[in-house]
Amino acid sequence: MQAPVTFPVPVLRLPRGPDGLSRGFAPDGRRECSIAQESLESQKQRARAALRDRYLRGLLAMVSHQVSFTLHEGVRVATHFGATDMDVANFYVSQLQTPIGVQAEALLRCSDIISYTFKP
Amino acid sequence: MAMRQTPLTCSGHTRPVVDLAFSGITPYGYFLISACKGEQGRNPGPRRLGLDGKPMLRQGDTGDWIGTFLGHKGAVWGATLNKDATKAATAAADFTAKVWDAVSGDELMTLAHKHIVKTVDFTQDSNYLLTGGQDKLLRIYDLNKPEAEPKEISGHTSGIKKALWCSEDKQILSADDKTVRLWDHATMTEVKSLNFNMSVSSMEYIPEGEILVITYGRSIAFHSAVSLDPIKSFEAPATINSASLHPEKEFLVAGGEDFKLYKYDYNSGEELESYKGHFGPIHCVRFSPDGELYASGSEDGTLRLWQTVVGKTYGLWKCVLPEEDSGELAKPKIGFPETTEEELGKCYGIDFCKKSLGGFKIEL
Repeated sequence: MQAPVTFPVPVLRLPRGPDGLSRGFAPDGRRECSIAQESLESQKQRARAALRDRYLRGLLAMVSHQVSFTLHEGVRVATHFGATDMDVANFYVSQLQTPIGVQAEALLRCSDIISYTFKP
Repeated sequence: MAMRQTPLTCSGHTRPVVDLAFSGITPYGYFLISACKGEQGRNPGPRRLGLDGKPMLRQGDTGDWIGTFLGHKGAVWGATLNKDATKAATAAADFTAKVWDAVSGDELMTLAHKHIVKTVDFTQDSNYLLTGGQDKLLRIYDLNKPEAEPKEISGHTSGIKKALWCSEDKQILSADDKTVRLWDHATMTEVKSLNFNMSVSSMEYIPEGEILVITYGRSIAFHSAVSLDPIKSFEAPATINSASLHPEKEFLVAGGEDFKLYKYDYNSGEELESYKGHFGPIHCVRFSPDGELYASGSEDGTLRLWQTVVGKTYGLWKCVLPEEDSGELAKPKIGFPETTEEELGKCYGIDFCKKSLGGFKIEL
């Protein structure tokens, strides 16, 4: 009879061992260091949250405005911005002015976009 | 599809780990100190083999090394931390106990004894240090007056293996080879004693509930720390060297001469799990102050950390979450550095579906 299949609990890394060079006990005080590191982490997190907030508000502000997108090969297209999907992977646009004509409705793949600009 | 315990091996010691202790929970987390029999010293003397015990301080939840307390000559038999992990104390074969600054690693005091010192314990307020050893005397040092002579309690007829403060430091528990004795701190007299037919291997005191855990032979016994009256006891499959009771008194873990760690349900006595992993007898085992993990020290020179709840995200262990229900068979993956080609092959040969994974996804 086969033994039941089990999977080992994954680990992030192994515990760090002695550095072999010194007796340890970080000179600046491990306690202060870890507190400082923690606040650095939470500062970074706050900064990231603030930047994301601004970006999402920026996207909201673009709705129903004329936006000019710079794509690959130096292609520039102007269009009426509609919406984005949840992952910001695609933009829904209308009246897309392409080199080969005007597309009434289109989905622009965000991975194809290099930059975009608009006037609110 | 159950999760298998992944013990974390803490490297550093090369010689048998004979004692370990956790601090209390501090604002910086909790810490772990371990003592070993002796590693190659820098200046081996003509008479000694040059094996110096090197007690190490580690971060309690990850096992990461913080520092090594250097200074003892010879094996270090006992090590402890005070509650807030600002001080450490060690007991060694060089006839001294030492008190250390656990933040800087500096030696604060060397307390000379007349024989090998085996055990050290701080009071809750860190003002006093209790020591015991082969000279059969219990000593109480006032750490605010390091020059003063310690108070001595005699009565043991064989070397003291373990000495602990109990009942809010108003009493002292001490174990020698065949007895466990309870002493009153104020009067320095014996209150009660227990006799055993077999050698007492370890003792642990749980303040909440005033429980004393004593191991001898294959027995793991629980007594009241106040009256020494027996509460219950379990028999293990092999000689046990150390046992520890979970802070919430749901489980106990024990290890000994068969190299295995056993986990029991404290209420029913049922053996829940047993783990192989060490390559030598286990000398000491302790639960962390939050009960999320336990540490074991072995003759094989390693300290290992084990999860109380296998598969939970804690410390370095990472639980993997189930995939969103897409209606397709989940691809088998493993996110684990030591995965071998064979294991991967076995994995892909197995038919998976999200339900049988029991809600776990293992990432490649």
